[in-house]
Amino acid sequence: MGKLEKALSEIQDMQRGGGEQSLSPLCLLLVTVVYLVAMLSVPVDSLTMLIWFAVFPIIGAGLSGLDFSGIFLKSLIALPFAALIGLFNPIFDTAPGIHAGGIEVSHGWVTFFSICLRALLSVQALLILTSSCGFIGMCRSMRRAGVPEFLTTQLQMVYRYLTVLMQESLDMRRAREARGYGKKHLSLKMWGAFVGQLFLRTLNRADNIHRAMLARGFTGQIPHYEPRRQSWRLRDTAILIISAGLFAIFRFVDLSALLGFK
Amino acid sequence: MSDALLSAPVAIAADVVAVTLLAVAAAKVKKNVKENLVPLMGVMGAFIFAAQMVNFAIPGTGSSGHIVGGVLLAALLGPWAGFLTLASVLIIQCLIFADGGLMALGCNIINMGAMTALVAYPLVFRPLLGKGAAGWKIMAVSIAACVIGLELGACMVTLETVSSGITALPAGKFLALMSGIHLAIGIGEGVATGVVLIFIRKYRPELFGAETAVCGSGAGIKKAVIGFAIAAAVIAGGLAFLASSNPDGLEWSIEKITGTTDPEPQHVSAFSTGAGKIQETTSIMPDYDNTFAGVAGALMVVVLVWGVSAMLVKRKRPATRTIHNN
Repeated sequence: MGKLEKALSEIQDMQRGGGEQSLSPLCLLLVTVVYLVAMLSVPVDSLTMLIWFAVFPIIGAGLSGLDFSGIFLKSLIALPFAALIGLFNPIFDTAPGIHAGGIEVSHGWVTFFSICLRALLSVQALLILTSSCGFIGMCRSMRRAGVPEFLTTQLQMVYRYLTVLMQESLDMRRAREARGYGKKHLSLKMWGAFVGQLFLRTLNRADNIHRAMLARGFTGQIPHYEPRRQSWRLRDTAILIISAGLFAIFRFVDLSALLGFK
Repeated sequence: MSDALLSAPVAIAADVVAVTLLAVAAAKVKKNVKENLVPLMGVMGAFIFAAQMVNFAIPGTGSSGHIVGGVLLAALLGPWAGFLTLASVLIIQCLIFADGGLMALGCNIINMGAMTALVAYPLVFRPLLGKGAAGWKIMAVSIAACVIGLELGACMVTLETVSSGITALPAGKFLALMSGIHLAIGIGEGVATGVVLIFIRKYRPELFGAETAVCGSGAGIKKAVIGFAIAAAVIAGGLAFLASSNPDGLEWSIEKITGTTDPEPQHVSAFSTGAGKIQETTSIMPDYDNTFAGVAGALMVVVLVWGVSAMLVKRKRPATRTIHNN
């Protein structure tokens, strides 16, 4: 599957997401932010403490009715960049880290695994959030959190026309490939003409969209619809407090020692 | 930039700066724009997204690259609207494709959006280009603006990463590595931007250089850049203090409150005594080194939770997931 097709498929998956969620999207967003702040505040060499934070994505995925294996596999996308930068740690930091039997793991390797785990956990938390709320739900929660309405309107506009323009781009690319005699990539000059054409089509589409919007009474803002189940309720407050408490325990209590792993 | 390379204080500081810039951009654009800008910015964001998915061949290397679009958007929409549009693309990339991570979003908006649209475009591209420029000049100015914008972004990445204290790579070597990579990327981005702008000037000359007519004059950009530089300097100073004297901001806060960074409870309570007894009787790996046993034990619990969760979700799934179109 090509890059464009894969991206289209991801967006369509996202559009199908955001199903029946009993919690407010704002609550889910706040829980995720609190989790990320707590997780990123763990010192990079505290691998044990960090591993405890891996419990949240598993439970969060389970409570949202999502398959954690799928989330885990998707989160691997974050690994190459983090691992590339993290690989310098074992090279520059050779101080002793963990002793296991006769084997010694250097501090650099401990921090390397920590960086990889941080990358995986942050992406897993984000994937659970977006799969649970859906993109439009997230825009609503951002607006409720005080993000300027102009920006949330812009986000919704880009999101709604993403698939349309990507489909347009895909059609143009297929037409080029059919006449390209097996050439995989466009030359720079052809690419310029390709993207330029796409830009001109984009402008025409923007013009058509604007006229259609004016015909339907557009006044500069997209009208809001807030489903009742997504408004903030007492349950959201309780979940936020419980989650924050749980993350504080992960962050400040030595759970491994408490459970006897010593 | 990735969440994995950021500490919490640096990520929060960058998020605050990015949100402030976005609020200023939204206010500027809302005040100055023509009425058709909302759909135009929307489709332009989608256009950049689609253009990023189409690769071009890099001559002599056998590999390919794609455009990022910061300077291109600023040249077509103006600096504020261009910044806002690129930021919306970055937000969607983060939320749909999990690029970078949620906490690193502020850094990415500053590094890729602000440095190109709010710094390189008004300070390099626009003054150097002038009016009625020839094709070669458009290309040269595009390359200069993109290289400077991306190099500034690379400096910001280095500053953010080194302030976070996550990587052991020394600041000088990290900066050299990032600068080298971004010099090559900047030249590629500049050539790609120049090619598209030359095409647009040829077929729709009325659009080229018309950003001020579409999106306002961009007045106040110099003040904003100075303000941004001061804010960045203040935050960088604060971060340097945090990074040098206290590796972790939360620990620093705890130390301020409790007088120690040790998260262990200071008072022996009935609960901790009971927990100590449970620990003695249930200790699974008493002979192993403390840290290794901790890592292994925590991993065991995570795998156990995953197993239980997988069993429960398997039974629950058909009832919980419904198809819903936004």
